[in-house]
Amino acid sequence: MLFGFCALLALMALLAFDSVHALNELESSSSAVRQDYLKRERTLRDIRFSLYESGNLLREYSLAKPDTSARESYLKQLHDLRDRAHDSLESCLRSLPRDQNSAFQNLGNELASYWLLADRIFLVDPTEANSLSLRDLALSQRASVLTLTGEVSELNELDFRQAEAQISRVFAKTRHRIRVVAISAFSLGLLLAASTIVYLVRLERHAREKYEETLRSQHELKELSKRLVDAQEQERRAISRELHDQVGQSLTALLMDLQNLSDTPAPASSLASGLQRIKLLAEECVNEVRNMALLLRPSMLDDLGLIAALEWQGREVSKRTGLVVDVIDDKFADDLPEDHRTCVYRVVQEALHNCVKHAHARRVRVVVQEQDQHLILSIEDDGIGFDPRRHRGMGFLGMHERVSRLGGHLIVDSLPGRGTRLRVELPLSASPVPQGVPS
Amino acid sequence: MRKLRILLADDHSVMRSGLRALLERQTNLEVIGEADNGRDAVSLSSSLSPDVVVMDVAMPLLNGIEATKSILKQSPSTSIVMLSMHSDESYVMRSLNAGARGYLLKDSAAAELLSALDAVSQGKSFFSSAVRRLLAEDYIRVLRQKGIVDSYDLLTAREREILQLLAEGKTNKEVAADLNISPYTVETHRAHILEKLGLHTPAELILYAVRKGIIH
Repeated sequence: MLFGFCALLALMALLAFDSVHALNELESSSSAVRQDYLKRERTLRDIRFSLYESGNLLREYSLAKPDTSARESYLKQLHDLRDRAHDSLESCLRSLPRDQNSAFQNLGNELASYWLLADRIFLVDPTEANSLSLRDLALSQRASVLTLTGEVSELNELDFRQAEAQISRVFAKTRHRIRVVAISAFSLGLLLAASTIVYLVRLERHAREKYEETLRSQHELKELSKRLVDAQEQERRAISRELHDQVGQSLTALLMDLQNLSDTPAPASSLASGLQRIKLLAEECVNEVRNMALLLRPSMLDDLGLIAALEWQGREVSKRTGLVVDVIDDKFADDLPEDHRTCVYRVVQEALHNCVKHAHARRVRVVVQEQDQHLILSIEDDGIGFDPRRHRGMGFLGMHERVSRLGGHLIVDSLPGRGTRLRVELPLSASPVPQGVPS
Repeated sequence: MRKLRILLADDHSVMRSGLRALLERQTNLEVIGEADNGRDAVSLSSSLSPDVVVMDVAMPLLNGIEATKSILKQSPSTSIVMLSMHSDESYVMRSLNAGARGYLLKDSAAAELLSALDAVSQGKSFFSSAVRRLLAEDYIRVLRQKGIVDSYDLLTAREREILQLLAEGKTNKEVAADLNISPYTVETHRAHILEKLGLHTPAELILYAVRKGIIH
């Protein structure tokens, strides 16, 4: 993929560079051709001009019958013209490649013989007989040179056309090359884009699958912990029931039978003392069993409702530890569903445990009230407080778990030295609690 | 002498048969029926009209506290003795609120049931000695922990006297007759007592008396 993009970029850079380079080349070569053409034309024009001028000079000279000084001046003018044509031709010849200058050399030779003839005309008196024939000779030479310049000019033009055709051929070739490179760059880009899209789509699908998998496992984890809490609660209740209802009642019945036995008139004293011992033992057993059952799950929670169970718990903690617990219910019907009762009870249990064990509180207020279809539980202590962002034990996790699986919120508000306030809000609406919603 | 007619309501048959064995040895009372859940207890007491119902607090279908409320709604003269595994005041308070006269712990039932039946049949309250002890201890502890002064000291001698009689289960009229004063005076005293002690219901008054060890 990366390689593909590099190749595409390189190809595009090459295309741009090549196009600019080719266009520059074409432009400079086409301007060179034009320059050459113009230069040759200029040379030819100079030569023609010199020829015409020299012709005029010759005519004037033959008509004027000049003296020696005038002849000198004519000669000088002629030489000027000659030099000019010569210079022009020389510079043209210099700029031409050797294989193309034959026509110009030929022209130069013809021109040179014309100048020689013209020279000779000025060296003889125009009135002399051979002057006339010389002039004719010169004029005919001039005419042939002029013809030659015409030919050379045609040749030059032909050259120019050829060069232009060459240039346009090169231009077409360049255009073709650019087109090929551009098309291949475009196709490569298209290919890259397509494969990128395919790759991205695949990546996205993969990511989505991973995300869904995470969600699923999160949901399963939640479900698992919910089941764990449920199972624990059910187990506790089952054992508590078993202890309380079966073992406890059997022991109580045993006690009663013992009482009946000891009530029989005049038992032997050894029997009476034996019965007394058994009775004490049985009473002890009853108490132990009852306490165990209550610790596992207080029967008031099922028999009398939440507030009674909370009050009992408060009293028990108070008796055991000296912590003063006030349980206050405000506009509370105490007709909660089983799950809610257990949740609140366990949260308070954990909170009181924390108050005693960590907060070293002396007094705690537990308030239960109902507000807008919500159960509000608040637990405030006067303990040492803590930083809720830094300390979060398993106890808090457990509370959180219990509360959130009923769709509620648990807010811990505490500062070191300022006590702790715990607030729980549980929705009481009849609608089922949404499960497995990622939070 | 007419025998005291008793209905037993407990979901444990072992418990019921133990109680029955205990009672059947007495000559001045008879067990006229047994129920193993709260609903049956209500219907049996309406058909048999017992003098006393010995009622387990925790029973299936309808618990003893709710059953007590229903029975007393039908026939307010029935006496109810609660039978419970729990000495905690939550149970005691709710039983009293429901209208029960006696509160008996199951493990002391064998020793105390007869006294309890005796007391409630005379219109008095009865509490297991363990319950009385626990309530009194709790009360003292709470007073100490919260640093509250016992409001009992605010009562006059007459008020204390009346408190005791009321807590024993006597009506205004009975108290008036005992003390040879008018029932209206008793009512005025009663209102003062409730106000001074911060109490609201007859059940709370009885519980208070138990805590203070005023009644036995």
